[in-house]
Amino acid sequence: MKSAVTTVVSAADAAGRFPSMSDFESVKGSFDRAKARLEAAEKLASCLDKFTNLAVDAVYQTGSYEQANKDKCVRDIHHYLRLINYCLVTGGTGPLDDWGISGMREIIRIQLLPTAAYIEAFIFIRDEIKINDVMGQQAETEFKGLLDYLINALA
Amino acid sequence: MLDAFSRTVVSADAKGAVIGSEELADLRKYVADANKRIDATLAITQNVSCIAADAVAGMVCENTGLTQPGGHCYPTRRMAACLRDGEIILRYVSYALLAGDPSVLEDRCLNGLKETYLALGVPTSNAVRAVEIMKIATVAIMTETNTGRKMFKGINSGSGAQCQDIASEAASYFDLVIEALK
Repeated sequence: MKSAVTTVVSAADAAGRFPSMSDFESVKGSFDRAKARLEAAEKLASCLDKFTNLAVDAVYQTGSYEQANKDKCVRDIHHYLRLINYCLVTGGTGPLDDWGISGMREIIRIQLLPTAAYIEAFIFIRDEIKINDVMGQQAETEFKGLLDYLINALA
Repeated sequence: MLDAFSRTVVSADAKGAVIGSEELADLRKYVADANKRIDATLAITQNVSCIAADAVAGMVCENTGLTQPGGHCYPTRRMAACLRDGEIILRYVSYALLAGDPSVLEDRCLNGLKETYLALGVPTSNAVRAVEIMKIATVAIMTETNTGRKMFKGINSGSGAQCQDIASEAASYFDLVIEALK
């Protein structure tokens, strides 16, 4: 799975060389940024259910719907947020790419799922929820970056 | 290939669980020890030829028949292959150490290594001995407990004495190599 360290190691291995000084620099750079994303992962883990429910409630506040549909939406939003939690831990988009995005278009097309609801939910989390209350500025930036990534992939 | 971060993710995903404070504590330690880890990896990369050459020389000294006609390190072409393999193993150990996870070593170096050696007629007991010597040498250099010339200076972490934990981690990767060859 792609992360800062595995990318460096793969490149070194492809060339058959030992990790070089610039490899160490790049690994070290990723560790310097790790603090913010680990904080984001931790805080997201503790607020994951809350964020999910707020977002789904916001999406479903108007119109009539079946409870079963809403429950499935909760399940999926929860799933995607869990993958974002994983991405924050790895420091790359690997978990979202491998387990959430690849193959997603095919599933959506075959099952005729509307992605608009998901997009709306993630935009709600990004713009409406006060993420700042639970995590620091830098952690929030990391989290929102991944939300943007997911929204673009779903759109 | 996994590193300490993605290893946590893969095991969390198997349970469908979110990664919370408990699991993050280990990763925070990994991040906090970054300087020591880089130093320990440098201890290997700066002394590769020396570690590999010493290990192969040690192996031959303990079993002088190896370099005699009919021995497995005769002629020089086979001895050279032996030195090359020592360096390759060190390279994968250095990757694993940097990543904080043995998957790269297991997938790309150890998987099928014993079968290859058996097919080529390489005596694995001698290979194991060479790896054992590399392990001892690497740990000694990392922790600056080697006798004679000082071969490594902790640039980032201050001194090799700080690298004790990482050195035992490196030793565990060498143990994996030994296990795979036995």
